[in-house]
Amino acid sequence: MNEKTRNTLIIRFVITLLVILAINFFLPRMMPGDPFSTTSSDVQGEDIVTMTEEQRQYFISYYGMDLPLHEQFFRYLANMAHGDFGQSIYYKIPVTSVILIHLPWTILIIFCATALSTAVGIILGLISARNRKKRSDRVMMTGLIAFSEIPSFLLGIILLLIFCVWLKLLPLAGAVTPFAHYAGVVDQALDIAHHAFLPVLTLALAQLTGVYLLTRNTLITVSSKDYIRTAYAKGLGERIVWTRHALRNALLPVVTRTGFMIGLMMGGAVLVETVFSYPGIGLTLRSAVVNRDYALIQGILLVTAVSILLCNLLVDQVYRKLDPRVSD
Amino acid sequence: MVSGFFPRYGMPGGSFLKGMIDTSESILSRFSIEGKIGLCGIALILIVALFAPLLSAYPPDKITGNSLEPPGQKHLLGTDELGMDIWSQICYGARMSLVIGLVVALIAGIGGGILGILAGYLGGMADQLLMRTVDILMALPSFPLLIVISAFMGPSIVNVILVLILFSWAKPARIARAQTLAMKTNTYIIAAKNYGGTPFYILRQHILPEVLPILFVLILGITSYAIVAESGLAFLGLGDPTSKSWGMMLYYATSFKSIYFTPFWQWWLIPPLVALITLVTSLAFISRDLEQVLDPRLRQAGGV
Repeated sequence: MNEKTRNTLIIRFVITLLVILAINFFLPRMMPGDPFSTTSSDVQGEDIVTMTEEQRQYFISYYGMDLPLHEQFFRYLANMAHGDFGQSIYYKIPVTSVILIHLPWTILIIFCATALSTAVGIILGLISARNRKKRSDRVMMTGLIAFSEIPSFLLGIILLLIFCVWLKLLPLAGAVTPFAHYAGVVDQALDIAHHAFLPVLTLALAQLTGVYLLTRNTLITVSSKDYIRTAYAKGLGERIVWTRHALRNALLPVVTRTGFMIGLMMGGAVLVETVFSYPGIGLTLRSAVVNRDYALIQGILLVTAVSILLCNLLVDQVYRKLDPRVSD
Repeated sequence: MVSGFFPRYGMPGGSFLKGMIDTSESILSRFSIEGKIGLCGIALILIVALFAPLLSAYPPDKITGNSLEPPGQKHLLGTDELGMDIWSQICYGARMSLVIGLVVALIAGIGGGILGILAGYLGGMADQLLMRTVDILMALPSFPLLIVISAFMGPSIVNVILVLILFSWAKPARIARAQTLAMKTNTYIIAAKNYGGTPFYILRQHILPEVLPILFVLILGITSYAIVAESGLAFLGLGDPTSKSWGMMLYYATSFKSIYFTPFWQWWLIPPLVALITLVTSLAFISRDLEQVLDPRLRQAGGV
């Protein structure tokens, strides 16, 4: 791999990360007021603590808020580097623990959805490319494109209405049956799969068309290449040529797409998890926003952003490994 | 590369608008069936939005009936939890969605386009600076950031629009720049320069007419993105609580406890759902067709 491209990549990564950290740091500080001048409360019957000016000053200096802004920013960076995201105001435990409880659920559905949409998308793309210029290809393409335009959370609501409300086949909310006693690991896995099915399906359907179109179009481009003609000339059957020669080469852009897909899904997951009340990081972000739990919001944003950036970086590396031509 | 579909725009005296009207008929005839369905959908929503006061018997934000009345004679689509008419909310919500979509798309599309053209034409430091900004903006996780920024800025339509503009000008800027860069080295532009054409003249007479059709398709795309993003934010409870957008309707309906165990979802949840899907798919159909009719090059330029 070229030394220069690697450096630009890393520099870009660091700059983007710094921008996110800066947004995270400065946004709450640009808002009017401070945490110590609360004058009203939403909780009924709660005593509002009014501080004397002296007490207020004490707390402001206790939390280091009287320091110059750049010093606060460096402190903040140091805390982030130590994995210290602060205390969640709503849950009253460290932000890191809140994130660690919920992140696995999101990873589970995003991972399954990525796998599902990639696999199905590739298969459909292959079928469509082989039947190119026939009616079935045109119908499939128009249908999938129309379908892909429905935003994922609206699709989620539709699926929820069909499967949970109308057919009553699947659970409405949650990731596991509450207070369930499992007979064994298999039983537990089944319960989790039962709950994760619709969120995974929604996320996967929203990304399916992208993979499908990419596979189809790359396959069509690849199929006019010389080595495909050579393969046919060697006397190989159509099936082998399509799967071994064409598909293998057409899959390269799909790999890149998968990386971006994970990023898109992170955004979509917030909405989809809200639709299905699935206790992942997206639903946590929503409740943090509703409860104005600023520390938690910032922590989740940072984790999301960093995982998206890492995914992109990783995909770039994988792509270079798979396609030696890129490294030149 | 140069010829394009609008040769007449390059001619002196031929205005873009005139060309637009002349070609609109031929564009329409090249639309596919889906495109025509899309046009009908948009026309329907536009009519509903424009004539909202005439089409609905009640104001959307006044209590005009009992709570959760099913659809009937008095209330076409029934009422919500507070007794407000759902059909009126759909009519006025169409205005909200269209206004948000169009304002965001026009400002982001035209603003980003102008920045991109200038950067591509002038080159140098300004170009570098703009492109690095675009790179960073496109690498940021836009939806989570949207949520956080609107959470901190407080719920108001203006804030939502501002944040959406911030996240959608990068793509038109990048594409307009790429297009300008590709055209800058064409011999006819160099010739025009050598004949003493000022930068303003060249931009207006040669570059703008070529870039505008591409920007137009992008603006449609951004409209759709902004409408979906606004309804998504509203659905999460981050919209303007005083506005009656379709996303807010979804939010209120889904936050109603046990909505799925009652028949209420049939007239409270379905209408905004259908309205949003109609609007978004119609826009997508139209922009797909326009893309193919206006400019087959867009795919390469946009890398979509």
